[in-house]
Amino acid sequence: MAYNITQDGFVARVENLSKSYGTGDGAVSALTDVSIGLRHGEFTAIMGPSGSGKSTLMHIMAGLDSPTSGRAWLGDTEISGLDDTQLTILRRRRVGFVFQSFNLVPTLDVTSNIRLPFELDGRRPSAGESEWIDQLVQSLGLAARLTHRPSELSGGQQQRVAIARALATSPNLIFADEPTGNLDSRTSREVLTLLATASREYEQSIAMVTHDPIAASYADRILFLADGRVVDDVVSSGAGGMSAEEISRYMLSAEAAA
Amino acid sequence: MRRGNARDHRPTVIVAALGSAFGVVLLLVTQSLGVALANDEFVRDSGSGALLLSIVALVFLVIAVYVGAVVTTNTVATVIAGRTRTIALVRLIGSSAKAERRLVAAEGLRSGLIGSVIGVIAGVAIAAGAMRVAVVTGLVPELDYPLLDPVIGLPFAMVVLTTWVASWVGTRRVLDVTPLQAVSAAEESRREHAVRRTGRTAWAVVLFTIGTLLLALGMIVGLFNPLGVLIGVVGGMLSFTGVVLGAELVMPPALRLVGRMLGRGPTARLAAANAVRYPERSTRTTVGLVIAVTLVTMFAVTMESFRALALAAAAESPGSFAGMDEALSVAVGVFSTLIGFSAVVAATGMINNLSLSVLQRQRELGLLRALGFTSSQVRGMIVAEAAQLSVTAVVVGLALGIGYGWAGAQSLLGSFSGEPAIIAPTVPWALVAVLAGVAALLTLVASIAPSHRATRVTPVAALAAN
Ligand SMILES: Nc1ncnc2c1ncn2[C@@H]1O[C@H](COP(=O)(O)OP(=O)(O)O)[C@@H](O)[C@H]1O
Ligand SMILES: [Mg+2]
Repeated sequence: MAYNITQDGFVARVENLSKSYGTGDGAVSALTDVSIGLRHGEFTAIMGPSGSGKSTLMHIMAGLDSPTSGRAWLGDTEISGLDDTQLTILRRRRVGFVFQSFNLVPTLDVTSNIRLPFELDGRRPSAGESEWIDQLVQSLGLAARLTHRPSELSGGQQQRVAIARALATSPNLIFADEPTGNLDSRTSREVLTLLATASREYEQSIAMVTHDPIAASYADRILFLADGRVVDDVVSSGAGGMSAEEISRYMLSAEAAA
Repeated sequence: MRRGNARDHRPTVIVAALGSAFGVVLLLVTQSLGVALANDEFVRDSGSGALLLSIVALVFLVIAVYVGAVVTTNTVATVIAGRTRTIALVRLIGSSAKAERRLVAAEGLRSGLIGSVIGVIAGVAIAAGAMRVAVVTGLVPELDYPLLDPVIGLPFAMVVLTTWVASWVGTRRVLDVTPLQAVSAAEESRREHAVRRTGRTAWAVVLFTIGTLLLALGMIVGLFNPLGVLIGVVGGMLSFTGVVLGAELVMPPALRLVGRMLGRGPTARLAAANAVRYPERSTRTTVGLVIAVTLVTMFAVTMESFRALALAAAAESPGSFAGMDEALSVAVGVFSTLIGFSAVVAATGMINNLSLSVLQRQRELGLLRALGFTSSQVRGMIVAEAAQLSVTAVVVGLALGIGYGWAGAQSLLGSFSGEPAIIAPTVPWALVAVLAGVAALLTLVASIAPSHRATRVTPVAALAAN
């Protein structure tokens, strides 16, 4: 899908992005002059304390919300100028989502939830895509659950279904907002490993919002946000990468400085 | 202490107001007509005509109040479903389920009182206006018509009482809310599952069976004697009560069937699934309309059969049935209007219910929008849901009404020609056309507010909602 990636290899990019809520004295500035690019095939964590603007940034990058000023691109498409329907179709085809909770449509079983993005696009998965979905279902251990409703699944299983759905369309970028926020530590590790594996093995680009240092340590790269600004951009995994303790210590010092 | 917002109870207030206003108008107008009849120099009614009128009025009042009660039960149950988390939270902190239930039921009683007062005032005003118009146009003589008659206390009391009872029944679900639900992560982990329903189902089946057997008996007796219709009426009432009690066996499959006809696209499929998400809720949402449509259709079919026979007889012996046709048309018109009022109450309930259930699905709509549902697809989904509910209610009511109407006509008129005859069931096509229009209109009206609201909210705001 090289045609969706900008020449610099960014799957998503924002430039001088600002977002404020409300007007006048009561205005809250959620993001101030943020410029970042997410690289293809990379697992990026967006970290920062609660209220630092992580979700806002993710929403704008994913075309769920519009910036007050600045520009945003998904691949080569500038999304800051698109209307609601164009954005919706873009999300449907090029973006995957994993939220903290309430990821699945309660009336649909696991199979239908995974295939929902195709359905919304008015088509059936191709033979190749069906094979890919089957493979995902197998490797995520969902094969025995396909006819179950979300209410019959544990929290971890629900997140795995959401991950399967996000991966199913092989989107340019998957956004995950605190995907482990509702899970116990063991299930969290499972889910994080799945995301890291998807990124490594299938070159899936992933942007994960989190305030959990352990979660961030699974990523290739960490963007630190504080008070609506990017304050640091570090390599996480591999030789020279930050460990969870280092991330945690970094966070504490950043909060103390703020 | 109030836990919810006042908007939750607006439907209950509206339904109570409609019911009591209807009752007041009906009783005051029949009383006034009684007065007019007693003063009429040709009729000089000694009271039996007025009594008959009052009985008929009472029957229609009971139907309207009953439909209103069903609607209110449903509204309250829907409100409870939306408040599950709040209730679970106060349970967690230490409140008892019973105390919580009493609170919600008290809100229901208060809504019933407010609505009834509004309804009585409106009803008296409307009745006064109607009688004034009738006097001015010379329809009735200028007389001292009763307007603040104590009789208006009857619909008031009936509506307040039934609203209270309906709220109480509707709040049964409060008892099912566990404190754990406040902390559980899984949304909608509990469905409104069918429990304690076996006794009710048994009653429904027994009543329906006995009723249907009596209906058949009435039809057989009717071949020789028009009094067969009396057996038929009892049978019809029993079997229809069975249908209403067992509506949960009838409506969900019917909704599924109609849902399948909506098509296979994602919009239609989600809509179809939504309409049967809570079978109990959808059943109560539609059953009021089913009752009203059944009754209207039944009257129309019976009258139509009677008219066909009368016209045939009139063709043979001209003169003997003069004026019959008009009288019957008027009767059908009046009855349909009076029952149609129950349909209005039922429709109000349906509109409110769809609104509430869309409101309670904000997060799900946000999720769908995030995943790629366009706002017009969301609108389409809500319209499809509304269509599914209205069409199903109208079709089921029509089918039942034709069945009961035919049974009525057969037992009443089987011996009409002097020898046993089978009356062909008539399908009142004009009524079918009207009902199709009603279903379309209802779909439109019911989906306007919720789809407006659903598409106005941004995906981000919807995802953040509870
Ligand atoms: N809809 C909104 N209206 C007003 N303020 C908002 C809204 N959404 C977010 N904010 C504010 O913007 C800031 C960033 O929020 P958010 O992006 O959710 O932070 P995070 O995800 O890092 O916790 C916070 O101060 C928050 O209060
Ligand atoms: Mg957040």
